[in-house]
Amino acid sequence: MPSAAEIAWLIPVLPLLGAVITGLGLISFNRTINRLRKPVAVILLSCLGAAAVLSYAVLLEQLAGAPSVEHLFIWASAGDFTLPMGYVIDPLGAVMLSLVTTIALLVMVYSHGYMAHDKGYVRFFTYLALFSSSMLGLIVSPNLLEIYVFWELVGMCSYLLVGFWYDREGAAHAAQKAFVVNRVGDFGLLLGILGLFWATGSFDFQGISSGLSQAIDLGTVPNWAALTMCLLVFMGPMAKSAQFPLHVWLPDAMEGPTPISALIHAATMVAAGVFLVARLEPLYSQFPLVGMIIAIIGTITCFLGASIALTQMDLKKGLAYSTVSQLGYMMLAMGCGAPIAGMFHLVTHAFFKAMLFLGSGSVIHAMEDVVGHEPILAQDMRLMGGLRKKMPITAITFFIGCIAISGIPPLAGFWSKDEILGQAFNTFPLLWGVGFLTAGMTAFYMFRLYFLTFEGSFRGENKDLQEQLLLASGNSSDESDHAHSPPGVLHESPWSMTLPLSILAVPSVLIGLMGTPWNSRFAALLNPEEAIEMAKTFSWGEFLPLAGASVGISSVGISIAVLGYFLNRIDLDKSVASRFPSINKFLANKWYLDDINEKLFVQGSRKLAKEVLEVDAKVVDGVVNLTGLLTLGSGEGLKYFETGRAQFYALIVFGGVIALVVLFGVLGNPPN
Amino acid sequence: MQELILGTFLDSDLSLGTNHLSNNFPWLSLSILFPIVGAFLVPFIPDKGEGKQVRWFALGIALTTFLITVLAYIYGYDPSIDNLQLAERVSWLPDLGLTWAVGADGLSMPLILLTSFITALAVLAAWPVSFKPKLFFFLILAMDGGQIAVFAVQDMILFFLAWELELIPVYLLLAIWGGKKRQYAATKFIIYTAGSSLFILIVALAMGFFGGDTPNFEFINLSQKNFGEGFQVLCYSGLLIAFGVKLPIVPLHTWLPDAHGEATAPVHMLLAGILLKMGGYALLRFNAQLLPEAHAQFAPLLIILGVVNIIYAALTSFAQRNLKRKIAYSSISHMGFVLIGIGSFSTLGTSGAMLQMISHGLIGASLFFLVGATYDRTHTLQLDEMGGVGQKMRIMFALWTVCSLASLALPGMSGFISELMVFAGFVTDEAFTLPFRIVIAAFAAIGVILTPIYLLSMLREIFFGKENAQLLSTTKLIDAEPREIYIIGCLLVPIIGIGLYPRLMTDSYTSSIEALVKRDVIAMESLKNPSAQLIRRNYLAPAIIPSPSLLNGTEKTN
Repeated sequence: MPSAAEIAWLIPVLPLLGAVITGLGLISFNRTINRLRKPVAVILLSCLGAAAVLSYAVLLEQLAGAPSVEHLFIWASAGDFTLPMGYVIDPLGAVMLSLVTTIALLVMVYSHGYMAHDKGYVRFFTYLALFSSSMLGLIVSPNLLEIYVFWELVGMCSYLLVGFWYDREGAAHAAQKAFVVNRVGDFGLLLGILGLFWATGSFDFQGISSGLSQAIDLGTVPNWAALTMCLLVFMGPMAKSAQFPLHVWLPDAMEGPTPISALIHAATMVAAGVFLVARLEPLYSQFPLVGMIIAIIGTITCFLGASIALTQMDLKKGLAYSTVSQLGYMMLAMGCGAPIAGMFHLVTHAFFKAMLFLGSGSVIHAMEDVVGHEPILAQDMRLMGGLRKKMPITAITFFIGCIAISGIPPLAGFWSKDEILGQAFNTFPLLWGVGFLTAGMTAFYMFRLYFLTFEGSFRGENKDLQEQLLLASGNSSDESDHAHSPPGVLHESPWSMTLPLSILAVPSVLIGLMGTPWNSRFAALLNPEEAIEMAKTFSWGEFLPLAGASVGISSVGISIAVLGYFLNRIDLDKSVASRFPSINKFLANKWYLDDINEKLFVQGSRKLAKEVLEVDAKVVDGVVNLTGLLTLGSGEGLKYFETGRAQFYALIVFGGVIALVVLFGVLGNPPN
Repeated sequence: MQELILGTFLDSDLSLGTNHLSNNFPWLSLSILFPIVGAFLVPFIPDKGEGKQVRWFALGIALTTFLITVLAYIYGYDPSIDNLQLAERVSWLPDLGLTWAVGADGLSMPLILLTSFITALAVLAAWPVSFKPKLFFFLILAMDGGQIAVFAVQDMILFFLAWELELIPVYLLLAIWGGKKRQYAATKFIIYTAGSSLFILIVALAMGFFGGDTPNFEFINLSQKNFGEGFQVLCYSGLLIAFGVKLPIVPLHTWLPDAHGEATAPVHMLLAGILLKMGGYALLRFNAQLLPEAHAQFAPLLIILGVVNIIYAALTSFAQRNLKRKIAYSSISHMGFVLIGIGSFSTLGTSGAMLQMISHGLIGASLFFLVGATYDRTHTLQLDEMGGVGQKMRIMFALWTVCSLASLALPGMSGFISELMVFAGFVTDEAFTLPFRIVIAAFAAIGVILTPIYLLSMLREIFFGKENAQLLSTTKLIDAEPREIYIIGCLLVPIIGIGLYPRLMTDSYTSSIEALVKRDVIAMESLKNPSAQLIRRNYLAPAIIPSPSLLNGTEKTN
């Protein structure tokens, strides 16, 4: 029997097959396939399930110490240029494979419940399978170019899924924004890849890093060029992993269905940027300056996300900014030269953030029965409250997620976040300070979300508030829509939704124990030498004060949230928001980044394009028309042209051309 | 008229040719003449005037032509040889040095296949044509033969004739079946192209008579002549104008939005799918192959023009509110990569240019077909008058999305690999100085950002959002019918096939491109004073890095 790694190419291929079959079916027999919900779901689930089983087998092999496996074939060649493609299985990839297949599988089960009433059910499942396939392909890519290929493909799936409800204006704009902003990052990534290929003649990770250091030693590639290329490549992860200032697409992408927010925009695709930086670690580790820039960008993102999350009223947007902030932590770890810490946080975050998003989906699903299918109402926390009594499973899992992300031991978030902060403390103390502060903010806004949603009394039946919210969003309420959906009752979601939540709660609690700093099995898998080194240098004297401080600031954040939103002892509106209106406004407007973006780039590019078109129509074409009129249109011809008898005119030209052809045919005959 | 005379001419030669080359089946002459003969049979097809019988006949002819070219490729063509194959040579007017010489190498064979393929689909796309169907299908079939001739002939005067003759059907197709401004568009088209092709004739005569011996216009002879550098530069500039109009190169492009804006869907497919490729093919065939020294001087200009094409046309496309013109400008933008590839002096880049032509031929044809199909339903091309169409036309929406994604160079489809090859070829080749390459690559890469902006906004404005009530009140939006799905499916198979495994296509022409680039590079090295010292690196300087070393063999396990 072949080892699992030998047939690991099946992991991305299986979901792809499923997606292609149902996709072709949708195009050719739309109605029939749309009715076959169960069979389609079963086929796609089993494809993904098989991929998941294979991934676990691969992971087990890697845990048992199997060597990495690489298989390549020549994909394109021209002259002395050859481009190999294939797949590689190594510990890092194995971890990611298991992570992605697990979450994708759970999200698919969840979607069965969440999308049950949607007429695009089959299309949704097809996209999900397509995305899983692209993401898995990205993970097993052995070189930068193949990564780029799948990088774009996951971007495409994100585009399709964000714009899934294409009758919503918001979704349409968000999908486009997501794709274009990602393309801005890809612009850098592509140039960087090309530059590195020019400098090293190679696309694969090892070849690039060793080739570049050689080239710098030989002096063939100047240092500034190498730095530029590294930073250009980093633009890709910046866009994909929503790092400042290219994070603007991620909160908007919440227009997509919630399972997608959980899978793509929290757990997997947005983590691809972090994953790529981890893959490029041998390259980046040569340039401390690049590391510092990555760390600074990560810190800014981390702080920015958390600060905006403080004031969000939309449940999903709050979680989205939280994701931005957590991705900032991961980047900070990468910048500190601690890819293992970053990857560990990626894994723990994937579990608890997916659970949080799916929890929010469960809430929205329930809210929709009360306030109707209007995202502005169904996702606004001002209309929620007291949901714990109606939806206990959702509430409990959401609570676990909040503790995990806040960094309370022994839940997952504590171990991973603390390791990042510890690394930052040793490398960039200033950045640690910001990250430390952010940890407190994280705890505060997460518990704020929890209390507003699940505690207190239910506010959803308040029609005045609904009207107000609709007015504020600029959407006039659609009367007919309200008449059709009589207020239903709040209820816990079906098993297909609560089961994935409960399953995800287990790793959210326990997985952190895999990476305790004194005996990190996670580090032992990715880099055994470093794990031994870590265990050796570990000292309680160093660990306890830092960990204590993080837990302390998280507790402060939680306490403020409890006082403000659960016990209602302090009125945060009065004591903070109204005392510093400018800061509040600044945060509520998301640091004005969207406005700047809109004014500078969107309007700017539109204006530029309009001007170019003017030039094209008036100047370039104007000259053409003018000469045309002057030479050929003079006299009678012009008159006919003006009176609309253009056929006659055209006929003359036609005859003229034929005459020319004949004439030149004759002239071509020289009298010799 | 003209065609008739030529047709009989060719017919008589064909019989001569078959006797002459009895052991070698005349595949190419057959694929040129078969559709033309078929076209002349169109008037004799019994038809009540609605085109129901004629269209089947035309489809049969077009498909048979496609089959002939495919058979020619399979039985008569060996991709590993860089020389001319499938060659037929019949002396035509020996006094004049005119010969009926056809043949195919890596430059022409893929385009011949593309031509017959797209034409067959265009006939299928023309299924609903009911106005003067006989004339319509006659013209389409005549064009099929004419266009194959453009790619297959190996004699410059013959090339000129084919080039000119192919204009007439396009002119008529535009002028009779076009939109509201069809006369203006058709006139502009004919003046532009006919005017510019005078340069071809002049240059052909000059090159043919060069040296003072008996004139000979065959490419083989021309390529052996030792033109002076000044002469080459003159010829090169003339040809650049002629082919630049066709490609088109900004600022010679303004006929294209008008012509494309007025053409009907099948004509559109032919215009975008094949006609533009004639410009790129001719640039490779004449400018790069026959005038290598001048090419070395002009290459930087080509590259700069290519970048201008990419960015300028992408911006105009973004601002366009008319769907057809938007896609037309996007074609111009995509052809910019062809120019960069041709000017790149690297096998990889030139190969990418070739692939970009094929890829755009397929993608452009599919997009233009979809524009036509959408127009049939919405009866408007203004984006402002559409919106929310996706709810009624879901399959159409899916097809549009796939083709737009192909056009914005999504990996897994042919556009990505061709643009990537152009980029990688240009950046890694040491023919130009590093700053020049950095600047050009950066600007060309801006196109990578601009393309999704205009394509995705277009999709958003047509399909996304709330349904446009006014549109719904005036038209019935019926979803795509099987014929339409089939056409797009046929185009998508090669698009995705090449995208998944580009060697399917590149292997068929690589050896020819290699020979071509080698010739150019030698010419470049021989130049004593390369123009623009700033841009051009002294070519003799050793490349920084030896060729990318690939793992031993095709597979490696560690």
